[in-house]
Amino acid sequence: MDQTEMSQPVTDGVILRRIERLQLNYISSIDEGPLDDWPKFFTDKCLYTVISRDNFDRGMELGAMRFESVGMLVDRATATQHAAVFAPRVIRHVLGPALVDDTGDGYRSRCNVVIYQTSPDGDTILLMAATYDDLIVEQSGVLKFKKKLVIYDTHRIPDSIVYPL
Amino acid sequence: MDGTKAPENSETDIWSEIGTTRVPFQVYQDAKIYAQELEKIFYGVSWNYVGLECEVPNAGDFRRNFIGEREVLMIRKDDGALSVVENRCAHRGAQLCQALSGNIGNAIVCPYHQWTYTLDGELTGMPFKKGINGKGGLNPGFDMRAHGLVNLKVENLNGVVFASFDHNVSGLREYLGPDMVKYFTRIFDGRGLRVVGYERQVIDCNWKLQMENLKDPYHAGILHLFLISFGLFRLDQESKCLVDDSKGHSVLMTAKGTEEGKEDTGGVRIAAPDFALTDHDLIQPRLEFPDNVTLSIQTLFPSIIIQAQCNTLATRHVIPKGPGSHELVWTFFGFEDDDDEMKNLRLRQANLMGSAGYVTLDDAEALEFSQVGLRGSHVGDAAVLEIGGTDCESNDHLVTESLIRGFYMRYRDAMGYGKAGV
Repeated sequence: MDQTEMSQPVTDGVILRRIERLQLNYISSIDEGPLDDWPKFFTDKCLYTVISRDNFDRGMELGAMRFESVGMLVDRATATQHAAVFAPRVIRHVLGPALVDDTGDGYRSRCNVVIYQTSPDGDTILLMAATYDDLIVEQSGVLKFKKKLVIYDTHRIPDSIVYPL
Repeated sequence: MDGTKAPENSETDIWSEIGTTRVPFQVYQDAKIYAQELEKIFYGVSWNYVGLECEVPNAGDFRRNFIGEREVLMIRKDDGALSVVENRCAHRGAQLCQALSGNIGNAIVCPYHQWTYTLDGELTGMPFKKGINGKGGLNPGFDMRAHGLVNLKVENLNGVVFASFDHNVSGLREYLGPDMVKYFTRIFDGRGLRVVGYERQVIDCNWKLQMENLKDPYHAGILHLFLISFGLFRLDQESKCLVDDSKGHSVLMTAKGTEEGKEDTGGVRIAAPDFALTDHDLIQPRLEFPDNVTLSIQTLFPSIIIQAQCNTLATRHVIPKGPGSHELVWTFFGFEDDDDEMKNLRLRQANLMGSAGYVTLDDAEALEFSQVGLRGSHVGDAAVLEIGGTDCESNDHLVTESLIRGFYMRYRDAMGYGKAGV
């Protein structure tokens, strides 16, 4: 059945604030670090994909990143910190307000996000305009991402996507 | 050069004193040289990648692409054949199609004044051709046949489509030569193709640096810490570097699992950390071609790369954007007969490649370092290419820059810098 038909808007302020807190802690693990914390926001089996809107709209699943387990996320965090060559940079996420629905299988949270990148020389560029489409579940009292789609409009990427988004 | 014969390109004979082992830094940043490259190479006698046939399955389907800085449309005609025309109206020069792909029905219509063309680019009409009440309208002497769209020569080799602005170019197979056709058809074996997805990057370095990178096996065992740390690539693996007779095309191949013991790096420590993957699914390839090659990179002059790293297959199209920048368009593909497991492998292993790839993000970064490093260089400053000697020949090892030297042999020829003295 279509998930959206089953979905109910979440009006419970406590849940909305917990989800907002999850998203802010999540982007902080990337923007401020430590990046080793980033995989901890996901369930063991998960889907994390950074995909262009161009591919998404064509029904193509190819992502710039596509990880299907916490293990793969841990590997990305490790490789980014220890086995990659790139110029230092600062990443800055800015999130818009989220539309949150209860799907029955978890909370679906959708929000716009813009991501800036600043070089060692101090030049800031817009890395991408994107949207998060997430499925959030509660595990032992903790909210985690079971699915996080980062769908980016800016599919002419300036240089590379170094950090997860 | 003996000095008695004027070189063909004397105004910018930047190569007269130095051999193939040097590349003058001007060729990466000089706007005049760049303009000549567009005319002599991209709009001259060359075959340029325009896409995969499977991207335009139905009549009227089009895909927009670039040859040099000129936009072209690959179009499926009613009779099933393909045409490639320039995406520029013959009237006032407006861009005809803006979308990356789509369907244009049975005619190309300019959005500005609705001048209308067949899918081959022949001009068929325009509004108010006869004016209104006998007033105005098209000049009666106007020759409609002489004002079609620029139509390119097209060839399709097992589903990969190439085009040329110069209709005098030799056939595609002849252009590639038998060795290159052999390795091209190792991957494009005639099976139906399917697009897995696209990625696009703008990398701020000269387009030739991107081509050099894929002709440079020497860097791969040094720069790419991810590959080294996980044993996916080592410079002592069984390998081949093949150059065609023109020296402009090449293919390099390695077979994982053929290296023995510890790598001998000549006493220099490769600073790569040892760490193990938590999830090994990322790098569990399935052999799918009839040999043990796990990585092959074919580069065809001037600007297309065909990559097969484990099961991630892609064309990488290098599109120049001024002397200091280029766009890299990745078309990840598979075959129509891929089973579900293979479809998953292609999606998963794509993590190695593309704009966030474990391997290729290093390249994009290093290439930008190169372009930045060139700023302020003096006339006479040049890149040094003496790894693996001074020749441009094929090799059975990877510690060589012979493929890059070969590329510049071909480049000098196309640009009229005269044959290289080694």
